[in-house]
Amino acid sequence: MHLYMNIRRRNDLDALQQDETYDAVIVGSGPSGAILALELCQAGKRVLMLEAATETGKGFDGYQSLLTRFYSRVGKDNQSPFPVNPNALMPRGSELRKLASGETNSDSYIVQSGPYVSDTVYTRAFGGTSMHWEAKTPRMLREDFKTRTTFAQGLDWPLSYEDIEPDYRRVEREMGVAGEVEDHDGLDLSFPPGYVFPMHGLPLSYLDQQVGKGIDGSSVVLDGQTYPIKVRPYPQARNGVPNDKYDGGEGFTPQGAVASYQIDQGGRCQGNTNCVPLCPVQAKYHSGKTLAKAFATGRLDLLSQAVASKVSIDGATGLVSEIEVKVYHDPDHSAHRTIKVKAKIFILAANAIETPRLLLASGLKSSSGLVGRNLMDHAYLLNWALLPEVAGTFRGTSCTGGIVDLRAGSFRRNQAAFAVDIHNDGWGWATGSPFSDLQQLVDQRNMFGAELQKGLVDRLSRQLLLAFMIEVMPNESNRITVDPSYTDALGNMRPVLSMTIPDYTMRGAAYARQFARTIFSRLGAQDCTAYDPGDYGLVPYHGENYAIRGGNHLAGTHVMGTAKNNSVVDRDQRSWDHSNLYLVGGGSMPTIGTANVTPTLAALAYRSARAILRQLDGQTTAPSGLS
Amino acid sequence: MTRLEQFIAFSALLTGEEAVALSGTGVAAELLAALDEITGAALTDELLARFAALPAGMQAEQAAGDSIMADPRLGPVARNVILLWLTGSWTQLPDAWRDSFGASPSDRNHVISAQSYQAGLQWTIAGAHPSGALQQGYGAWAMAPGSTAP
Repeated sequence: MHLYMNIRRRNDLDALQQDETYDAVIVGSGPSGAILALELCQAGKRVLMLEAATETGKGFDGYQSLLTRFYSRVGKDNQSPFPVNPNALMPRGSELRKLASGETNSDSYIVQSGPYVSDTVYTRAFGGTSMHWEAKTPRMLREDFKTRTTFAQGLDWPLSYEDIEPDYRRVEREMGVAGEVEDHDGLDLSFPPGYVFPMHGLPLSYLDQQVGKGIDGSSVVLDGQTYPIKVRPYPQARNGVPNDKYDGGEGFTPQGAVASYQIDQGGRCQGNTNCVPLCPVQAKYHSGKTLAKAFATGRLDLLSQAVASKVSIDGATGLVSEIEVKVYHDPDHSAHRTIKVKAKIFILAANAIETPRLLLASGLKSSSGLVGRNLMDHAYLLNWALLPEVAGTFRGTSCTGGIVDLRAGSFRRNQAAFAVDIHNDGWGWATGSPFSDLQQLVDQRNMFGAELQKGLVDRLSRQLLLAFMIEVMPNESNRITVDPSYTDALGNMRPVLSMTIPDYTMRGAAYARQFARTIFSRLGAQDCTAYDPGDYGLVPYHGENYAIRGGNHLAGTHVMGTAKNNSVVDRDQRSWDHSNLYLVGGGSMPTIGTANVTPTLAALAYRSARAILRQLDGQTTAPSGLS
Repeated sequence: MTRLEQFIAFSALLTGEEAVALSGTGVAAELLAALDEITGAALTDELLARFAALPAGMQAEQAAGDSIMADPRLGPVARNVILLWLTGSWTQLPDAWRDSFGASPSDRNHVISAQSYQAGLQWTIAGAHPSGALQQGYGAWAMAPGSTAP
C-alpha cells in the first residue's frame, strides 16, 4: 500500500501571523513531530508544523531527486543525498578535522574544540533524521531505566519499562517493525503474552550466518559472570513479510512509498544495502509516512523553509506566547522575513542538538540550568577483519544481525555495556571500502584482467566489520551551548558542542576491542583493525588509541526527571518552567542504554500526545511528577 | 570494429569482464566520452592502437602488462580506465603523471553520472550489487553469493 501525500501549505504569512486558531505548533518534521501531529490531528486538533528545510523529499519525485544526488556524489557519506542549505545547515563528517586540545574548528556547522571531535550528525530535511536513519528498532532494557539505582551509574528515569511498553507497541505498528519476539530471549525486556511484531523478522544475512557458525554456543566471562553469545537478528522498521498473527489475527498492511500519485514501491525491503543514507524504495520507515496520514486529516498545515529562531515567554504567566520564525524564499540567499506564530501548545521536536540550541538562543536555560547539558550519543568502536572464506559481504540491509548478549549485566557497575552490529556493507565505515581496496589492487598492486577479478572477490567478499555501539552515560559537562560569535546565514546561533568520552565508556571500548579479537580468533579471521593516529575521534586510553565514531543517537539535553530542580521536563516531556511548552525527542532521555534512540523517543511522543490532549481538553494544569 | 567496440574490447581485457557484459551496462559510450574529454582523444587512440597491436588470445594479457600497464604515460591512464569501469567515477591521475604529461582541468575526482555509478562493476564482480541500486531482492542476502570467482 502506498501513501498519498497531499500537503496543506501555508504561504499567507500575514494571515498566519494573525491566526490564533492553532491548538499546537510543532517545530520539526522528524519522527517525534510527525507522531505528535498525527495523534493531535486525529483527535480533532489543528496543528501548524514548522520545518527549517525545504520540502524536497516529501513526495516521490523529490525523494527520487535525493537518490539521484546520492548516486552522483563522490563522497557517499550519510548526508550525501541532502543538498547544502546555508539557511538550515546540518553537520557533515566531511567538514571535520583533527583538533589539538583547546583548538577550535568553526568551519563546521557544529562548532567544536579539541582534542575529541564528534562526527555525530542529524539531518535537517523534510522528515528529519528519519530520512537517513538505519531503522534498527531495539527497545531499551528494563535495567536501562534504573541504572543509578542498579549500577550507581547515570540517572534513573521517572518511568519504568512497564510504563513505556504499550507505547513501544504503538511505535512498532506506526513504523512497521519486522522482527520476532523469540529473538529477544534472555534479554531483560518483555512483551505481552501472544504479542508478535507487525512483520516477520528479516532473515540474517549469509555473512551473519558465517559469523554465527563460528561463535553461536560459545561464551565470554566478564566480571565473574559467564555470558553465552550468539548472532541474532535485530528488529527493524523496514517492510518485510506481514505476520498474519499480528493484532489478534488481523494481520498488517505494510506502508510503502509516499507519493502524490499511484506508485507501487517499498512494500518490501529489496536489499539495497543503502538504508543509510537513503532507502531507494522507501521500504524503510521515514516520518513522511506518518505525516501523509496527518495531512489527510485536513488539520495539519506546513510552513517549510521556516527556521524557528526564538521562543518568547510571557513574563506575567511564564507561558510561551509565540515562536519567532525566519522564513526564507531561497536556500541560497539569506533574505528572509521574520514572523511570529501562536498556538495554545508549543512543541519543540527539532532533535537533541537543535532543540536546546533554540532554547539557549532564546535565553531559556531552565530553572535547573540543565538545557543543553547531559549530551549523550553512543560511542562506536569499529573492528574489522577478513574472514577465511567468501561471505557475500555488501548485500542485504545495512545490518541484519548482531550480538546483544552484553547489553545487560552486573559488569555495568564498572564499565559500559554494548551491542555489536555485523555490517553487511563491509569495511566502508572504517576504511572507505570498497574504493580504498580498489585503489590498492589496481593502482598499487597493478592488478587487471582475471587476476583483478579474483582479487576483488577475495578482498571484498570476505570483509567483516563489527561495530560496537557502546553506552555513554549522562554527564553535565558534555553539552551544547551557543555563542553569538558563531552564527549561520540567517543570523541564528549555531550549536557549540563540548564532549569527552567518559572513562566508564572507554573501559567498555577497551573490552570491546578485546571481545572483537576473541570473535575474530574463533572465526579464524584476520584482524585488520588499525586506528589512524591522525583520526579526529582518537581517544587514548591506558596506553592504547581508540578511534571513536559518533552514533547519531543524540539524547539528554533537556533531560526528564522528577522535579524542577533536577530536570528540564517532566515524564510527559512537558517543561517544568513553561506549562504550555513540550520538549520532545531524544533530549528528554536520561539514559540511552544500548538501544538506538528512535523507538524510545517515538514511544515518548505517544505519551506526550496523550498529555497534550488532556491539557487542551482542560483536564490537567500541573506538571506530571511522580505518580 | 568501431572505436566504441575497440574501447569495449580493450576494457574487457583490463577488467576481466566479457565484452557483452560491458556493452550491456549501457554506459560504455559515456565512459569513452569521459576519457576522451579528460585526457584527450589522441591519448585514447594511442591506447587503443597499442591494444590492437597485442597478440591475440591467452598471451594478450601478459603482453598488455608489458606494453601498456608498465608504460609510464599509458599505464596510469589504463588503470584509471579500470577504476572508471569498477566505480563509474574518474579518479584524479597521480601527481607524477600530471607533472610529466599535463594536468587537464577535468582530471579531478568525480562521478561520471548517476547511471555510471549504478553500472560500476566493483560490486557485481564481488557477487554483490551497487549500494542503493540493482538490488538482489528480499531475502537474497541470506543466500550464498551467486557469483564468486570467475
